[in-house]
Amino acid sequence: MTSVTHAVSVSGRKAEALGLGVVPFVVLIVAWLILPYAIHYPAYMLPSVATVLGYAVESLKDGSLLANIAASLGRLFIGFVIGMALAVPLGVAIALNRTVADLFRPVLSFLQAIAGIAWVPLTLVWFGIGNGSVVFVIANTIFFSALYNTVIGVQSIPLALHRAVRSHGGHGLSLLTNLILPGALVQILLGVRTSLAYGWRALVAAEMIAGSNGLGYMTMEAVQWQRTETIILGMIVIGVLWVLMDHLIFTPIERRTVGRWGLLQR
Amino acid sequence: MSTLPAALGAPARPLRAARSWGRALKGFAGVALLLLAWQVSVPLVGMDAYFYPAPSDVVTSFVDLMRKGILPAYLADSLVRYAVGLTCGAALGIGLGVLIGLSRRASLMLSPLLKFLFAVVEVAWIPIFVVWFGYGVKTIVLALVYVVVFPVLYNTLLGVRTAPQILVNAVRSLGASSWQVLRLVILPSALPGIITGLRVGAGFAFRGLVFAEIIAAKSGIGYLIFEGTEGHQTARTVVGMIIMGLLWLAIDQFYLRPIERATIQRWGLTVDAEQRT
Repeated sequence: MTSVTHAVSVSGRKAEALGLGVVPFVVLIVAWLILPYAIHYPAYMLPSVATVLGYAVESLKDGSLLANIAASLGRLFIGFVIGMALAVPLGVAIALNRTVADLFRPVLSFLQAIAGIAWVPLTLVWFGIGNGSVVFVIANTIFFSALYNTVIGVQSIPLALHRAVRSHGGHGLSLLTNLILPGALVQILLGVRTSLAYGWRALVAAEMIAGSNGLGYMTMEAVQWQRTETIILGMIVIGVLWVLMDHLIFTPIERRTVGRWGLLQR
Repeated sequence: MSTLPAALGAPARPLRAARSWGRALKGFAGVALLLLAWQVSVPLVGMDAYFYPAPSDVVTSFVDLMRKGILPAYLADSLVRYAVGLTCGAALGIGLGVLIGLSRRASLMLSPLLKFLFAVVEVAWIPIFVVWFGYGVKTIVLALVYVVVFPVLYNTLLGVRTAPQILVNAVRSLGASSWQVLRLVILPSALPGIITGLRVGAGFAFRGLVFAEIIAAKSGIGYLIFEGTEGHQTARTVVGMIIMGLLWLAIDQFYLRPIERATIQRWGLTVDAEQRT
């Protein structure tokens, strides 16, 4: 009996949360609909809801929106793979070897401070406008975030486990595959979310300055022509994509790793 | 920005002076090696100074920028924008955080919207800010406020929610008004969270500042980095990047860490905010 009422109250609460949560969105959209009638402003400053929707349909039909989304996500993926591939081995080396750590620490913390978007002007000189520059910036951004998480991950492996594996004759490669990598994996996976949050910003920013397509390029290019409907559509797509990535990729990863290894990171 | 220096340090155990000297020396050797490799690689690459400036070019450019007074002026502009953006963003974030933390209804109502707004990263707002406010300080400061609000808000919220109910009850039963409960219990227990939020926000905002200045400024460190390559003076870009790195390390070392030490370590609470956002 109690469980039934409990279930009812939980679903009731969920409905209430959902209902209340929708309110601000409705208010915003209604305000956006009414605004042109309430005050006078140049049409390009804020296009009507209909204009933005019309543009969304148009750009979906001619495939340009999907092409830009695909270009951005593709770059994010490539930059992510490169950044991780460089960061994990270096992170393991730093966490395991004091000399490596001492040698690299000042250089890396300095480079971390300028990681990301500040490289764009230089990469423009080196690679020109396009993929090279943007991918460099994303990989650079993700590298430093992933490096941090790898070092923390390896360092958080209990000393007792080290000793246990060693006393069973584990060393070198077997130590790495049996202890270090699995031990650091949870932290590395959890760090992916932070890395990609930084990488996502870097992607949009780099595309705005150095892109030849993609979502960032699409919105910044529109400024020149005062096509605000393109800008607003771009912003909405950027927001929705991130929410989707968060729900479809990171939350499941977190749930699995946290659930399985019992590590709570929040 | 995560705290790499702390992560790269040796595990916590008693530091002996000799070891810390040895570490400093090795760290110095690392920096020296990098500079040496850079200098040596210049003739090997054999490209124009425009494409690949040497350390000596960078030093010359630095001296030039200092002598003309450009660098100090840009630095001052950047710091003012940063301070204004950070202060306004933090004030807004703390206010919203307390509001949402105290009212369940406000929390239910605003959470989805805030989640979505957080997902529309500040970078994506810059084009529309440019249309609305033009290229200049307004756009930059707004972008900074936007980027600071969310980490401060989430961490304040966390702090407010973890305020011990028993203390709230105790103070209430002694006849405290709502305002007194807020001031005496809620805010002090939210303080470590607020500081963590500020620290994370400060890191995001620093990058946001440089990006906003690249797009929308006619002065500042970000502008220096951008203008350098535009004017085929790549050495200036590198000066800008080095200054940016040093500036962040200085802010972190002399401003953020002391605040953190004074509050978080006193209350013994650390919250990893970046995972949360």
